[in-house]
Amino acid sequence: MASDALRSQVAAKWQESFARLNRHEPGIAGLVRFSHAWNVALAVLRPRRLDELKEDVDIELVRSAFAVINGGRRLPFLLETFLEELKKRYWMVGKDVEEYMARFEQTENAEVIRDLVLRLVAWFKHWAPLPELRLGSTIYSAYTLSFQTHLFSIVPPSFATGFKALVSSTLSASASTTKSHGHDTDDPNAPIWQSFETLGLIDRYESIIATVGYEFIEHHVLDTCTAEWSRPMLSELRDWMSEKVVPWMLLIYARGATNAEEARSMLQGVGSRFDFHINKTLCDLRTKEIFDIIIDFPESNGALMDLKDCLQRVDQRPALVKALRQANRKRLLHPGADTKLILSQYVATIKCLRIIDPPGVLLFKVADPIRRYLRDRPDTIRCIVANLVGDDSDSPDSLLDDTIDSTSGSGGGQITTTNPAHLIDDYSDPNWDPEPIDAGPEFRANKPQDVLSTLVSIYDSQDLFVKEVQILLAQRLLSIPILSNTTVEDTNGTTERIEKERRTLEILKLRFGEMALGVCEVMLKDMTDSKRIDSHIQNQLSLSSSSSTPPSSADINVVHPTIISHHFWPSSDPSAFSSLSNQHHHQQQQNQQQSSSSFMLPGQFKTLQSTYLSQFTKFKPDKTLRFLPNLGSVTLLIRFEDEREMEVQVGAIEAGVLELFNMKGEEEVEGDVENKEGAMLSLDELIQGLGGIDKGSVLKALLTWIDYGVLEEVEGREGMFRVLEVENDRKREGGGGGGGGGGEGEERTRQAVAAHVHAQESNLPPVVSAQQQQADQMRVYWKFIEGMLTNLGGLPIDRIQSMLRFAPGYDQSVDQLSMFLDAARREGVVVFREATQKNKKNIEHFVRPVKSQITTENLNSFFDHVVAIYLTGARGLSIFHAPTG
Amino acid sequence: MKVTIKHWHAVAQWRWDTGKSEPNSDDSEGDVCGICRVPFEGCCPTCKMPGDDCPLIWGECTHIFHMHCLLKWLGTAASKQQCPMDRRTWGMPTKFSLVAVPC
Repeated sequence: MASDALRSQVAAKWQESFARLNRHEPGIAGLVRFSHAWNVALAVLRPRRLDELKEDVDIELVRSAFAVINGGRRLPFLLETFLEELKKRYWMVGKDVEEYMARFEQTENAEVIRDLVLRLVAWFKHWAPLPELRLGSTIYSAYTLSFQTHLFSIVPPSFATGFKALVSSTLSASASTTKSHGHDTDDPNAPIWQSFETLGLIDRYESIIATVGYEFIEHHVLDTCTAEWSRPMLSELRDWMSEKVVPWMLLIYARGATNAEEARSMLQGVGSRFDFHINKTLCDLRTKEIFDIIIDFPESNGALMDLKDCLQRVDQRPALVKALRQANRKRLLHPGADTKLILSQYVATIKCLRIIDPPGVLLFKVADPIRRYLRDRPDTIRCIVANLVGDDSDSPDSLLDDTIDSTSGSGGGQITTTNPAHLIDDYSDPNWDPEPIDAGPEFRANKPQDVLSTLVSIYDSQDLFVKEVQILLAQRLLSIPILSNTTVEDTNGTTERIEKERRTLEILKLRFGEMALGVCEVMLKDMTDSKRIDSHIQNQLSLSSSSSTPPSSADINVVHPTIISHHFWPSSDPSAFSSLSNQHHHQQQQNQQQSSSSFMLPGQFKTLQSTYLSQFTKFKPDKTLRFLPNLGSVTLLIRFEDEREMEVQVGAIEAGVLELFNMKGEEEVEGDVENKEGAMLSLDELIQGLGGIDKGSVLKALLTWIDYGVLEEVEGREGMFRVLEVENDRKREGGGGGGGGGGEGEERTRQAVAAHVHAQESNLPPVVSAQQQQADQMRVYWKFIEGMLTNLGGLPIDRIQSMLRFAPGYDQSVDQLSMFLDAARREGVVVFREATQKNKKNIEHFVRPVKSQITTENLNSFFDHVVAIYLTGARGLSIFHAPTG
Repeated sequence: MKVTIKHWHAVAQWRWDTGKSEPNSDDSEGDVCGICRVPFEGCCPTCKMPGDDCPLIWGECTHIFHMHCLLKWLGTAASKQQCPMDRRTWGMPTKFSLVAVPC
């Protein structure tokens, strides 16, 4: 079949091959020599068992054999055959691997892996072509590659775990051997790393090795740095790294480096990776701890510096923000936390984050929820202002101190209301910087503000602050007794205390501006004026007393009033006081309606007042005084029948109550009534005697005196109280079992009265708080609302709100209005009706008055509610429920 | 029992004795200056301190103003020296020849 051409072609090929193998030697001699050489070479290369020694080979012979093969250009085929052979015999290695791995899986001992590796190296060396043959790198690398490929294909997955354990044992070994810097010194692990290198394990398991390094670092960082915030740890960690980890790294990553310089350059990449890992681990740790770090500030300054450095290398800013916001939400912004605490934590947060991130982007992101939360708290302003004004007991690092610092630093920037001009960047500023890249759209690169202005900026306007400052100042000033130097020694430091307030005020003025605090200025002036007037009047009185009426002088010298300009003091209007106390006790409403005049001080007080008043009008003929009887304090000296004496300082109502008993006693003496029991008065008599004030205040006053052991409730007659002229013997005996009944009775009285007081809880602060003022204000607008609803019928809330805006000074929001109306609804003064018109809200509430039901009585109890709501700050009340017909 | 008052730190507010209303009446709002509409016990717009620093002035017509307010009014040509309330010529009553003697 084959054509001639094909035949001749095959013949030619055959001839050619033969010629190449025979190398033009006569006959087939060349061919025979070639086959001999082939056999010799194969025998030398053949992989054999470990214990099977290589027979001595004649190097020359083998070399010539290879030369023959090479001459026939059959070396590649030889290599192929050799590798084929290797593959066939690899089961021997596989057996070893299986055996060792089985042992490892049983013992979990990294040493087994070490042995296995050494064993594998032995195999590798045993099978490697003799180096003396100088076969060239191609064959060697082909051999290595093939050996490793087979090896990796047979090792079980558990080898990775074992390898990791082995590596980490080498790491801890080299870390524990403290030794001088340098990689040539005899590290105990150098041989094993050599073996790894030989077997190509380093390249294959590089990620595992790196993981071991990372884990080692993490472990160390967590060990040494957790809760260690006082000093920066980063440099220490780096020292530790270069001492402990770098020698180990040299073994792996700088193998084959000939000198230190080379080693360094080889380590550079991996070294920076490890350094990054230190940063990252530390950063993660600090991020987790950030809330507590802030609590510990300023002791935790070191940690903050670390965090700052870390954040520059590691992009963890979003994580930090997230962690801190979460911690704040969980640990800070809940009803259980005191506003004061929240504030101080906020201030600490401001300071800390300013260290970490001077431009304030982080702060802006973190602060937002805190600010929003604080805005909703009713007593935030009070807390801030209280911190500002600073009680004597306050810690030295009150806000005011910071203020002083920053004012001296920045030249006293006033708090400016947000002025649009400030929000526009000044592009002509040569120091202008773009906003940081992670800044949100709302972020404003404000000039670094001080803490106080940051706090004040929680609210949109500073008016609220100013108002609260006034109220606090009023409270503090009224507690300062007026003592003129001429008459009494200035023991309480009246002048000093006024001066202190003045200093505080000056500082606040720098912040809030001269205008806003002008009212406070007047208040301070009232104080000094009062003092001046008082000393003048006291002089006049002592002059006149020395000439004429001696008995009255002793009395008159005791009155030292603070004379105030009532338009400049927060709600010191007497009608406001009385109306507020009315609102709290509607069971007394009927009484109140009859006798609109409120608290009056009886007896001696009245005479004292009028004497003082007449002196005052002599001194200032164009002015007169109106005493505010429920403010102020009295020091009383009480002398009992049994010659006991007692000096107490009490409030005005308490003094009034006791004076009533005193008067009653004197009456009885004059009327020769037998008086063994001590003066006795009923609760109603007391209320009448004091001008019909509410029951709660009287009960509270009575309780005070019962506590002092001056009064007691008459046994068996509820509501009757009498003076304890003779000190209760049974009580003096220590309330022991003997007397029994009486002591118990007294205790019972106390509890009963206390229960009364608690039920009424009339604990009004002497000066009305801003919220009460607000509620009071609403009272005025109620008239408008009432008229509106009566004339126009039902109105939606929006409409009421828009009409109220025409009323002078109306500044309530719709929410506040609807809260108010809701309170009105619950009192049955108005009703809500749901309308079904399509509207934005879909459901609209109409409000219409219930005409028949509006009586004074439920109006008053309604205002009670309103005040209560304002006081509790229950802003969240929804009006969208239970509309009645 | 005998109670002696050793020391009484009272609180009182001062009022101008305008002679109109009974000082202890409940009409706590008081009167306002007809010119600036600020209460007498407050101070006129140019002043900061109430009281002796911003006294009142009584006219023959019994109208009362802050002294500063009235003097400013009288200083303008349009006033023709008349009381702004009733357009009578402004004059000081003899019995109130001196208002507010600062001590």
